[in-house]
Amino acid sequence: MDLTPDNTIVFEAWGIAVNATIFNTWIIMALLSGMSMVITHNLRPDVPPNRWRTMLEVIVQGIESQITEIARRPGHQLLYFVGTLFLFIVTSNLLMVVPGFRPPTASLSTTAGLALSVLVAVPLFGITSRGLGGYLKTYLEPSVIMLPFNIISEFSRGLSLAIRLYGNIMSGAVIAAILLGVAPFFFPVVMDMLGLLTGLIQAYIFAILATVYISSATAEPKTLENAKEGQ
Amino acid sequence: MSIDWITVAAQIANFLVLVWLLKRFLYRPILDGIDAREAEIADRMSEAARVRQKAEAAEAAYQDRLSALRSGESAMIDSVRQKAEEERDALLAEAREKLERERKNWNEQREEEASQYTADLHRAGAGALLSLTRKALGDLADETLEERIVAHVSKRLTAISEDLRKAAGDSTAAVATTRDPLPQDARARLKADLRKLLPKVTLRFETDAAQAPGLILRLGGAQVAWTVDTYIDGLNALLEEGIATGRITKSANR
Repeated sequence: MDLTPDNTIVFEAWGIAVNATIFNTWIIMALLSGMSMVITHNLRPDVPPNRWRTMLEVIVQGIESQITEIARRPGHQLLYFVGTLFLFIVTSNLLMVVPGFRPPTASLSTTAGLALSVLVAVPLFGITSRGLGGYLKTYLEPSVIMLPFNIISEFSRGLSLAIRLYGNIMSGAVIAAILLGVAPFFFPVVMDMLGLLTGLIQAYIFAILATVYISSATAEPKTLENAKEGQ
Repeated sequence: MSIDWITVAAQIANFLVLVWLLKRFLYRPILDGIDAREAEIADRMSEAARVRQKAEAAEAAYQDRLSALRSGESAMIDSVRQKAEEERDALLAEAREKLERERKNWNEQREEEASQYTADLHRAGAGALLSLTRKALGDLADETLEERIVAHVSKRLTAISEDLRKAAGDSTAAVATTRDPLPQDARARLKADLRKLLPKVTLRFETDAAQAPGLILRLGGAQVAWTVDTYIDGLNALLEEGIATGRITKSANR
């Protein structure tokens, strides 16, 4: 039994093996992009919104309100990043119930990739917000002695993000597979239902933690206003 | 638990592509649509507020116009009432004036008729009296009325000869006026009687149709007259007394 879909090769093209993690990621990407395209292709102000468009608006506005509540700053860049994180993870986790589909988030490579993305995004958003000097200065706060600890903290946050998501999803998938072998009826259904809840919560946690990390790296709105007034 | 770094790199690339795809096909259209709808709602709300303001202004103008019409209506009613009262007063005054005029005319007509009647009565009485006197004198004394008048005047002239002489002064002309021409013998007798009293005075005779039957003698500033007027007045007094006491009625007069 493979614990990770990385070892399952779906097909090979030009000497490059495409494993289930990547292939299933493409499926999720196609699903999300295709649905978005279909629902939003005829989106005009004079056309009354249908239920699908309303559903997307609820999702997007829900994500945006959560981000705004945490980051306390309006801005679409964070929505694009964190919203995509949440939608990708939650879709992946929810598709866990589809027989034969192995969620990419059950792969440590995927969670590591997402965690690395967050790890890179934090300084990028920080530098964009505070400037390079301002961002680097945060590593010296509250004193220079804290520099190594801050660096360790930065990497450990990425590591914890990757391991937490991977562990939860992988364990859920593995437990469901084991139970399917031991007790094929009833118990796998319950575990799958639990896995859906867990997957939703993990996606929320991952997105919220990413938002917290990025917003902590960026300047507070009051600080920015004071800086502008000082100029 | 192993990490395939190629897969990690591929997943990072996939994630970034997914970010771009969702930004292109999900976030942008949805957020733009929300912004457009919010802008449209704001426009509609401002339009609704503008329309509401316009409607309130129109309502206020309508209310002003209505109140103006109401106040104008009461003013018009007052004006019409005042005009009607003035017209009524004018009509009443005109009617009163007309009534007064008619009453005055009626009074004048009645007085005229009364005076006419009195004059007629006077003439009729005078005529009757003269006829009766003339007939009585002819039947009982074999004399004419003119002879008796001249005799009466001569008698009165004798009684007042002194006074007459003083009143005549230097005047030498006397005039005897009658309604009808006097007979020649009556004229001669009167001339003779006057010559006895006033020898220098010459007498001439004249007639006056408007004068009452009788004779009036004018000499200087003096005048001696005998006419039936005094008798007629006495007759009128008797008739009025008879009417007042009820012995004579108007129907009887007719």
